[in-house]
Amino acid sequence: MTTANETPRRTRWLHLLRRDRMASAAAVVLLLVGLCALLGPMLLGDLAREQNLRAINLRPLSTDEGWEFLLGSDSLGRSVLARLIVAAGTTLAVAVPAVLLSLLIGSLWGMWAGFHRGWRENVSMRIADVILSFPSLLLAVVVLYVFDPSVANIIAVLALARIPVYLRTARAESAELRSRLFVDAARTFGTGNWAVIRRHVAPVVAPTLLTVAAVDFCFVMLTESSLSFLGIGIQPPDVSWGLMVAQGRQELQTAWWIAVFPGLAIILTTVSATVLASWARIAGDPAQRWRLTAPRRGRRDRKAAAAAPAPAAGKESA
Amino acid sequence: MFTFLRNRILSSAIPLLFVVLGVFFLARLTGDPANLYLPLSATPEMRETFSAQHGFDEPVFVQFGDYLAQIVQFDFGESLRTAQPAAEAVLRAFPATLQLAGFTMLFAIIGAVVVGSLAAYRPNSAIDRIASFLSATAASTPDFWFAIMGVLIFAVQLEWLPTSGTTGAGVWVLPIATLLIRPFGVLVQVVRGAMVSALSAPYIKVARSKGASEPRVVFRHALRNAGAPALTVAGDLAVGLVNGAVVVETIFGWPGIGKLMIDSILQRDFAVLQAAVLLTALTIFVLNILIDIGYALLDARVRQGALA
Amino acid sequence: MKSPLRPRLAGPPGRRTTALLGAGAMLLAAGCTVANSGSAAAGADTVRIVLPEEPPTLEPCDASLTATGRVTRSNITEPLTERVPATGELEPKLAEEWEQLEPTTWRFTLREGVTFHDGTPFTAEAAAFSIDRTVNSDIGCNVDGYVFGDIEISATAVDATTLEVTTGEPDPILPLRLSFVEIVPTDTATDGKVREPVGTGPYRIDTWNQGINLRLARYDDYWGERPDYAAALYSWRSEGSIRAAMVTSGEADVAVGLAPADGAGDTAVEFPNNETSYLRMDATKAPLDDIRVRQAINYAIDREGLVASVFAGLGEPAGQVVPDGVTGYNPDIAAWPYDMDRARTLIDEARADGVPVDTTITLIGRNGIYPKAAEALEVVQNSLLEAGLDVDIQMLDVNAWMEYLLRPFPQDIGPTLLQAQHGNQAGDAAFTMDQIYGSEGAQSSYGTAELDRLIHEGELAAEDERQAAFAGALAHQNDEVVRDAVLAHMTGIISIAPNVTYEPNSATNDEMHLAAMHPAD
Repeated sequence: MTTANETPRRTRWLHLLRRDRMASAAAVVLLLVGLCALLGPMLLGDLAREQNLRAINLRPLSTDEGWEFLLGSDSLGRSVLARLIVAAGTTLAVAVPAVLLSLLIGSLWGMWAGFHRGWRENVSMRIADVILSFPSLLLAVVVLYVFDPSVANIIAVLALARIPVYLRTARAESAELRSRLFVDAARTFGTGNWAVIRRHVAPVVAPTLLTVAAVDFCFVMLTESSLSFLGIGIQPPDVSWGLMVAQGRQELQTAWWIAVFPGLAIILTTVSATVLASWARIAGDPAQRWRLTAPRRGRRDRKAAAAAPAPAAGKESA
Repeated sequence: MFTFLRNRILSSAIPLLFVVLGVFFLARLTGDPANLYLPLSATPEMRETFSAQHGFDEPVFVQFGDYLAQIVQFDFGESLRTAQPAAEAVLRAFPATLQLAGFTMLFAIIGAVVVGSLAAYRPNSAIDRIASFLSATAASTPDFWFAIMGVLIFAVQLEWLPTSGTTGAGVWVLPIATLLIRPFGVLVQVVRGAMVSALSAPYIKVARSKGASEPRVVFRHALRNAGAPALTVAGDLAVGLVNGAVVVETIFGWPGIGKLMIDSILQRDFAVLQAAVLLTALTIFVLNILIDIGYALLDARVRQGALA
Repeated sequence: MKSPLRPRLAGPPGRRTTALLGAGAMLLAAGCTVANSGSAAAGADTVRIVLPEEPPTLEPCDASLTATGRVTRSNITEPLTERVPATGELEPKLAEEWEQLEPTTWRFTLREGVTFHDGTPFTAEAAAFSIDRTVNSDIGCNVDGYVFGDIEISATAVDATTLEVTTGEPDPILPLRLSFVEIVPTDTATDGKVREPVGTGPYRIDTWNQGINLRLARYDDYWGERPDYAAALYSWRSEGSIRAAMVTSGEADVAVGLAPADGAGDTAVEFPNNETSYLRMDATKAPLDDIRVRQAINYAIDREGLVASVFAGLGEPAGQVVPDGVTGYNPDIAAWPYDMDRARTLIDEARADGVPVDTTITLIGRNGIYPKAAEALEVVQNSLLEAGLDVDIQMLDVNAWMEYLLRPFPQDIGPTLLQAQHGNQAGDAAFTMDQIYGSEGAQSSYGTAELDRLIHEGELAAEDERQAAFAGALAHQNDEVVRDAVLAHMTGIISIAPNVTYEPNSATNDEMHLAAMHPAD
């Protein structure tokens, strides 16, 4: 592919994104979280660690004590705002690699297994069964007990536990695709297996996998939180949203803001990822893209739809 | 069908063995339980007696061999904590978890099919956006947060429901609601995604042109084709519920297997842990076989329609 | 492959729906009651208590386990003697009086007219049997390890109401040790533990729905005063805020083991719970082998601030691991003052002398050892960093943490500070000193020959001399050894509904007497 070809494509996507208010908002949120993750630890790292035992559990909006207490202070008098921003870094550093790793390994493996069927599929699925029926908490306790709760180990544990989900989803779809005409045709023309998978299977399987991955972000973040609750997650003085939620849970009745804000951060990030994923799903599907390019017309259509049944049917096949 | 079943069951036996093997050895990597079960000032002799009594003084492979020999005779060992047969504790706890997981999946699937189909009917419409947003929020809400808030609001403030426990019909509401949010949220997303693709497929047009009513188009024709990915994900979620209802069971004092399992991990109660994992693994394998059957049925019907 | 653009619509339309409904109905039928839920009828004459965990067993010889003792001790079974937490005095229970005949021989005169729940009379034979079963059997009683250790002991029934106990070496606190031996009838199993014991206590076990609840009913032929409540219903929830909510919403009368943030509100009752939090330094490894560094750590910790913030104002900054009321407590040992400048100076001095103060010290913590354990360590870490030391935190689960608590210690780690908490259930420093400060003590990372000598002196002494000797040993530890940074005497919280009166005391965590609970007027 040439660069000349790519530039217009990118602008077209941006253009599409701008037309969709919700997707743009989601993109902005994710950008902001990413920015916090990159710059937060540098700018606010010290502030997030600074304890003040005489100013504990300040309510949100206690800005008389300083701007840093906009979201209140925690049980050690640290700024919740600063911690929230700094924690974005650690959180993403765990969640993104964990999700990407499991997505990558799981979906490649799953497509390969589903494509070949036979014993390869069988063995793969049974391995997935083994991992799935294993209590992931035991795995976490073991790995983090025998080794130590470093970020890399936490990522490894979380990724391993999630691989079967992608493996099974990808296997199911690719096994079904394999029998279809275009895949058969490609094979008869002598295209290599991996090339067929890449060109014909992966694009079809990808949307579902991406949807699952977007939701999985929160699962990984929340699992990391429960690891923190057992003390085998992120170790202080590092801080992640999961750790904040876990520590704030004891305070839910006396100082709700300690657990609620990081909880909201997890929700907001996941929702943004999901919204963007479902937008991408439409934007990436030629049969659906019109809905994004012509939102106004679409809305008018819908108003008309109140009167006429099955209005979208004609559009859909257009 | 029979050959398929036989093959599946046979090919599940080996993985099951791997699960047992894995749990057995991994558990023993987490340290000597003697510290937990003996007084802090225990003498070295007491430690030796303890190890000998529970067979921890033998090489771990010998221990495993003994364990396998026991399992074959349906003897799953004795709990370190209560000195009762491990199988008893596990079988006592399991039905409560199955009930909870069963109800939750029932509600999640019905709810997700309805909401997901509605959302997918007109992608990007207001309904779609609201549904997507709410389901994504539901899927990412920390469950313990939801649970404790639920107790504080509905049990303490409003006094509509009991906080926890096992007596009365009210005790079901909060645990199921808490368990439900994530599978429901995820399933809505998946159903919606699959339905969007299914509804734009050519055969839907054909169905419509043949005069099928809209509900029929959506819930019979499209849904059947969207069923496969939804079924896979629902299966995984159900599996997660079988051994993962830890938070709910812990908070609501539900006498289920998730709580039993985490307690036995933290207390290094190996026999109970192994028996619990064996039973949940067995359930998960059965569940997977059922999913595969369902999948095969769906697939057989779908394939002809989907070939295009 | 002649794909018609039409999905084959298979099956009569209703089939799947019917199957789904069928499954739902089955679940419902099974589901109106939770599987295995026990009936839990509780009238007004029943006191409902919610515990943090189910008792693993009610075996009396494991009654030194908190979860067991809380239910068993002095409710189901009773000892010969009982310590009164308020005064520290021993009170007669199943023994009416006792005397020391020789340094190694004690004679107990037992109460008459006492019967076990199965109707058999309580005799000296039963007492001798119970002591023997606890101390000399192979069933691995927790009480044996906790209270008796290596002590040789034998008990014989002289006649129906006279019991003689002899020890291998003189033991001035034998009656106190025997307050941990709960008396069971002679037909109790000796080859294994019993989950549901028979005793002489005011309550007997009625029903135990495992995993759900446990009901004790009043024993009508109890020898002593008849308790107010006809029954007690125990249930358990591991989440503190739920336990508190159960009392607020009227589902329970008493909730045990709460944290300040659990939201018990007006029903919360605070009481000194006998526990003392401390950090144990591994003084065998540099830089902690230098006493100046250990002193600096003590000066660097702001105990007042820690108690005010992390412990929510509950607790008392402390300088020794036993609280007031325990034999050996030294009222002259004050908590170390917060003096960051002094801490920095000491570290600088040590650095100047070539002590490797930049070595990373690992703070080993245990989640849930007390409320907000991790936060407490973060405060300590912050202070020590400020004082000029390099400190990491590692939080562990109980079993992993135990590896560091007990000998032999893991060797693959540098200098450590261990988060620990000590509760002296028995009320005598003998249960503290050797295991925590003896140079070979099970929980001791470091000791000195001089300290060992002082401890041993205390163990052999009696009465006032015993108090003075242990107090001296504690002072020596605090001034010359400085092995620990003691943090605070802790405060417990239980929640009591308005319709119940009960006054918790320092022993409440280990034994909770139902007879001391009364309906409020």
